[in-house]
Amino acid sequence: MKLKLAFGMAALAAAFVMAMPAARADALSDIKAAGKIRVATAMGVPLFAYVDAQLQPAGSDVETAKMIADSLGVKLELVQITNAARVPTIQAHKADILVANLAITPERKKAVDFTIPYATLDIIVAGPKDVAIKDYKDLTGKRIGVTRATVNDMMVSENAKDAEIVRFEDDATLITAVASGQVDLVSTQTAVLAAMNEKKGGDPLDVKFVQKSLDLGIALPQNEPKLKEWLNNWITEKFKSGELPAMFKKFHKRDLPADLLSRKD
Amino acid sequence: MMYTFDFSSLWAYWPEFLAGALTTLEMTFAATVLGLCIGVAGAIARGSRHAWLRVVAGGYVELVRNTPFLIQIFFLFFGLASVGVRMPVLAAAVLAMVINVGAYTTEIVRAGIEAVHPGQIEAAESLGLSVPQVYWYVILRPALERVYPALTSQFVLMMLSSSITSQISAEELTAVANNIQSITFRSLETYIVVALLYLVLTVLLKSGFWLLGQGLFPRRRRLGTPL
Repeated sequence: MKLKLAFGMAALAAAFVMAMPAARADALSDIKAAGKIRVATAMGVPLFAYVDAQLQPAGSDVETAKMIADSLGVKLELVQITNAARVPTIQAHKADILVANLAITPERKKAVDFTIPYATLDIIVAGPKDVAIKDYKDLTGKRIGVTRATVNDMMVSENAKDAEIVRFEDDATLITAVASGQVDLVSTQTAVLAAMNEKKGGDPLDVKFVQKSLDLGIALPQNEPKLKEWLNNWITEKFKSGELPAMFKKFHKRDLPADLLSRKD
Repeated sequence: MMYTFDFSSLWAYWPEFLAGALTTLEMTFAATVLGLCIGVAGAIARGSRHAWLRVVAGGYVELVRNTPFLIQIFFLFFGLASVGVRMPVLAAAVLAMVINVGAYTTEIVRAGIEAVHPGQIEAAESLGLSVPQVYWYVILRPALERVYPALTSQFVLMMLSSSITSQISAEELTAVANNIQSITFRSLETYIVVALLYLVLTVLLKSGFWLLGQGLFPRRRRLGTPL
């Protein structure tokens, strides 16, 4: 009986060891050797990553992922995740890189590595026309909807401690919450707001104030200098050639800032 | 692959964990009490002499047991809000849990009721017991005693599935864990802590039900035999 248990434990331990990724040279060589790159995107984010009328993934993040795979000459495997799963996905090596409108923040830098900015977005507080809100102070005692684990969530939690913060799991659910009238004040980004107003029909929400202009980076696991260097070069090249800004404008109807590459988070 | 566990960064968040666990317990308590009432009423209705009552109760049970809990929650919170019926999130969450667990409880209690021998009911009627008396002493109490273990495990299951209500922004234990995970990025540690907390809640709930059972079913307590 004891022997059986010992065997069982050994087998279990062996299974754990086998489940761990084998020792690797570096992520970039691994991707090339495998002939495919696993790119995580947060689906359900208007303009960045969403499902189009033909039920195919579309948006500037999805397009960026396709361009990266093309340049590497490998197959693209999209890993579709939620906003809250973005950092854990990279930490757990569920994807090679993450192109999921993830803002570069000092907190996140402790957990994952970032490239130079590849895009930007403004995060804002929006509400109905007749509600007067100019600052975080005005949110006291009010219900405000956010998407969990976003910079919006962090900033509102930090600056509007007396607001009632209502957290939803992804942008799509937040949009549904606004469209169905469950919340009328939101902290979100401009692209999501556009989608909300479209779904809402009448009485569009107005931008009350801009919380922050964010630089978005491609996230990758820490200690992968070769992959990071390749991605940084890729962003610089595609930005200068105009391919990246043109693609971004196609979805967002606005230009990427000219100083994007020199922005130091 | 090395992983260094760091539970210390979670320590600062214990009041949040506790508040989340309390919310989960409160939701479970409300849903258990109301769900049991619906279950007993539903079970009686399913065995009713009136066909329309049987149809209504049967339809309710089939509808709820054959659709996903998440869809039921979204329907109550987002669907109804679109047509102007707005509920606070906790009310919607508890209502969804009550409706859900009520359907399962209906079937469990019905099994208990059907296990009561018709001869006992006939005997009670011939002794001149009134209809409510027959239902209370001869049908419901033995029925509930028989299915008590199944009932309690259904309520424990419901407490665990209440984690789904985090999707509509109910700040229960799972939502709190997701918040803390997104601040600390210690996802493995956070989910280990939250799993242990659910385990503690389950043990608490089971002990509570055991104590309640000792009080409710004196026959079983004294004799220690199943009906």
